[in-house]
Amino acid sequence: MITQRIESIRQNYVNAKPALSCERAYLWTESHKKTEGLPVCIRRARAFYDCCDQLTVHIFDGELVVGAIGEHRKCGILTPEFSWLWVDREMDTFSSRPQDPYEMTDEQRKFMREKVFPYWKGKSLEEAFLSRLPEDTKKIGVDTGVIDSDSKWRQAVGEITPDYQDVLFKKGFGGLIKQAEEKIAELDMANAEDEEKRDFYESTLWTSRGIIRYANRYADEAERMAGEEKDPQRAAELRRIAANCRNVPENPPANFYEAIQFLWFVQIGAILSENPLALNPGRFDQYMDPYYEADLAKGEITEDFALELIEALWLKYSEWVWTISSNTADYFAGYNQFQNLTVGGRKRDGKDATNPVSYMALKATEEVKSHQPGLSVRIHADCPKEFLDAVTHLVSKGTGFPAIHSDSVGYQMLINLGYEPDDARDWNNCGCVVPHFRKTGEWTSAANLNFGSALEYALNEGRSLMTGEKMGLDEKPAAEFTSYEEVEAAFFRQFDNLCRHAVISLLTAQRLHKEMVPRPFLSSCNEHCMEVGKDLSQGGAKYNVGPVITGIGLAVVANSLAAVRKLVFEDKVCTMDTLAKALQANWEGYEDLRAKAQDCPKYGNDDDYVDDIATKVANHYYHEVHQYKDVFGNPFTTAFMGISNYIPMGRVLGATPCGRRNGDPSSEGVSPYVGTDKSTPLAAMRSTTKVNQEIHSGGTLLNLRLDPNLVATKRGQANLGAMIQTLFSLGAFHVQFNCISSDTLRDAQAHPENYRDLLVRVAGYSTQFVNLSKSMQDAIIARTEHTGF
Amino acid sequence: MQLQHFSVNDGEGIRTIVFMAGCPLRCAWCSNPEGQTSRNAMTHYVETEDVLRELRHQAIFYRQSGGGVTFSGGEATAQPEFLREMVDALYDEGFSLAIETCGQFDFEQQEPVLRKMDTIFMDLKHIDPERHRAFTGVDNRTILENIVKTDRLGVPMVVRIPAILGVNDSPEAMEGAFRFFRDNNLSAKLEFLPYHRYGEGKYKELGLPLPDEAFGTPTKEDISRWSKQAEEYGITTISYK
Repeated sequence: MITQRIESIRQNYVNAKPALSCERAYLWTESHKKTEGLPVCIRRARAFYDCCDQLTVHIFDGELVVGAIGEHRKCGILTPEFSWLWVDREMDTFSSRPQDPYEMTDEQRKFMREKVFPYWKGKSLEEAFLSRLPEDTKKIGVDTGVIDSDSKWRQAVGEITPDYQDVLFKKGFGGLIKQAEEKIAELDMANAEDEEKRDFYESTLWTSRGIIRYANRYADEAERMAGEEKDPQRAAELRRIAANCRNVPENPPANFYEAIQFLWFVQIGAILSENPLALNPGRFDQYMDPYYEADLAKGEITEDFALELIEALWLKYSEWVWTISSNTADYFAGYNQFQNLTVGGRKRDGKDATNPVSYMALKATEEVKSHQPGLSVRIHADCPKEFLDAVTHLVSKGTGFPAIHSDSVGYQMLINLGYEPDDARDWNNCGCVVPHFRKTGEWTSAANLNFGSALEYALNEGRSLMTGEKMGLDEKPAAEFTSYEEVEAAFFRQFDNLCRHAVISLLTAQRLHKEMVPRPFLSSCNEHCMEVGKDLSQGGAKYNVGPVITGIGLAVVANSLAAVRKLVFEDKVCTMDTLAKALQANWEGYEDLRAKAQDCPKYGNDDDYVDDIATKVANHYYHEVHQYKDVFGNPFTTAFMGISNYIPMGRVLGATPCGRRNGDPSSEGVSPYVGTDKSTPLAAMRSTTKVNQEIHSGGTLLNLRLDPNLVATKRGQANLGAMIQTLFSLGAFHVQFNCISSDTLRDAQAHPENYRDLLVRVAGYSTQFVNLSKSMQDAIIARTEHTGF
Repeated sequence: MQLQHFSVNDGEGIRTIVFMAGCPLRCAWCSNPEGQTSRNAMTHYVETEDVLRELRHQAIFYRQSGGGVTFSGGEATAQPEFLREMVDALYDEGFSLAIETCGQFDFEQQEPVLRKMDTIFMDLKHIDPERHRAFTGVDNRTILENIVKTDRLGVPMVVRIPAILGVNDSPEAMEGAFRFFRDNNLSAKLEFLPYHRYGEGKYKELGLPLPDEAFGTPTKEDISRWSKQAEEYGITTISYK
């Protein structure tokens, strides 16, 4: 049962509108004014220290886990060093924009424009990126919806898993200080390489001292509040909080409660340092269970209190808001921060890893229904029945949680990237559905690539259907194609060109990150960076994985190529010319042809006619992208993963031969196009597993909607468990379920006030339904609801 | 013949139902009217090998879920040769098998098939021979005999009462059925299938008059009341919903 304290924090989380704080941006800016001329890593580290030293301390009512990034309980911050341009351009509409609005006052806007932005003019990452990017890439790769990488130059990278197991819980930041000092003592300042290492270690000294300082200021405040507190119970709590903050994160946690507080301080450090997406807690059950079991044995904790602490942490994860541009918000809708937390799976030695904390994590999400953390589970072939039951039970609650992953496919994906087997077995999820590991530096959602655009340019002489603008390579008129093979070859030509521009855009961004935005705080949480004296941005991690390019629209392209083949070249229902004209007319006046196009085989129904095309396109994608090397010499990586990118990428895409109209959503991950998987979910699963998912090491995603009645009973849940195991044995990496009826969703659209805590699965993540724009909500309702089971 | 994959209310796990056309009964409330005759707008002919190929393709789902293949109809036994061929092949390949039958069949002919089943579902539509004839076109003598004989085979069995207001919801009808269980010392379990009108679309497609409006769906309370009464007779009830 949820405690009254948690319920009241939860109510605030559900009902409050997020608001922005300017404090961090201001302190960061003031600090930089004082450090001109110093190495950039030191400047950033000192700015971090100054924030930790000067940010106003806020302990909110009833909190058990403390630490705030600003004055609001539900709060976002700004990072002008990455980009202030979009903030300046968009902040007047922050409160009113349809997707992910934030509260911001006129006074705050004035403050930012007077006190913060002027300093960063010409100095931000965004400006540097835009001035360096070649013109032809810029034309197709900046705010176009064709190639989108803006989260890598308007924002920080994030996409990292701090190493609690081998670094943080072993050493604490006090231990990291000692390690850095020892390393510095061994360096030879007459050696240029050592000089760089010294700068790196010094930067971590600033950040480690900073986060310790921050914690101690909370200890001071908690002690002060305890002295004034009239309620003796709350006073005792505050004294306990003060003691926790004195000990962590400077030292390894002494118990479960301190470990929970430590986790939140690490999130705070990362948020203040770069406001990251996908700052993953990682394998929570693995590093927390030893504390839980030890406390339990000593009689120092009860299951109820441990669960309450986990729930308090869940709400902390949910209260901070990732501040993003409206363009990015289209791709990552729903105030999502993508803090992915993984439970279950196998241990490093291959044994089953589930423990009491694994179950408590599922329970906490069921009780608080918070959209964070992004709760993921790993399911292996010999997964205990109890755990699979707990997972399908949570699915039946309709939160869209947890994201369900195949343990062995995740392992295989990392092996394919060159990980050592023990490390690969120890994988955790990153962001939405990316297999990841805590000793890794990687851009896991680096660019999105619109597959549909490549087909559009192939069939429309290299031009956009909706704007007429020349975006792709030269191509002859569609009427002159004489065989299906020719159409397919033209598609691949355009496709390869898009891949190339995505790579160019990311190489530019990677070089700039090396120069401009080193990450001392997060590098200190990475074992190998500290060992070799190298920042994450310089490739200091044990594993550096090439940036992940996410393919959007696999189903649209496969369905469309199948329709071209069938209608034009096999059944000869129409000519290429007629089809091209129908697309230009957005099917208007071609209703009969459109009906025939819709009747063509559709991916998601276990029909090889079209599934073979999908597989061919996916394989081609892998080989094409994989041949490019990033700035560290690692091959680029492919993914068919989630986020809400299929909406904006569909918006710029004209009508497609599959029967889709101008601007309709594209398709996400390896999922079928909405509403076209008309057979059974088993057939949809078959189609998606024909795609060789394990080669797309950036992750693959399948969305399915189930009638809630199917999983209302224990028996229904058991069958769902069996279905999941079957899917994984066929080679799928991930599946997620929305189990909320269309009626409920429509009612929630009409009466959002009654459904403030309704969570839905978007794509790779869950979020509050009422926080999605109308078009996003419609897209979710449009997914085929499987009623047979 | 028609296949319905991904069914979960007709036996354990995830199953495929093989609907066979043709039926010796004409139940006034039938939800699968396309199965009453072997030739109509909704039926088609298939080769045993084609059906087997499709079922093998789904086997991976059956294995994980403890599911399998359920033969149904129409009347599953209405095409004895086809049924025999399919059952023999699937049995040898280790599939879990179930059958749903109205009970109106030649026991000696069907016995080998029944012995290969993991679960047998057999209907008891009405305990009274005359009422049975009035609603289905035949009396229930063979059916009652077959229930008893099949029960003695030792294969797990579920006797199903399609519970329909206005047909078999009277105390005499229900208690008569329960007494039949007790008097014959049946080890079969009992399942109530509440009447539904989902099949009406098919009537329209086939150009048939709709079932009597007077047929009603029992409430959950009705079902639990009857279940309780049945248990008083020593009968175990079960539901796959």
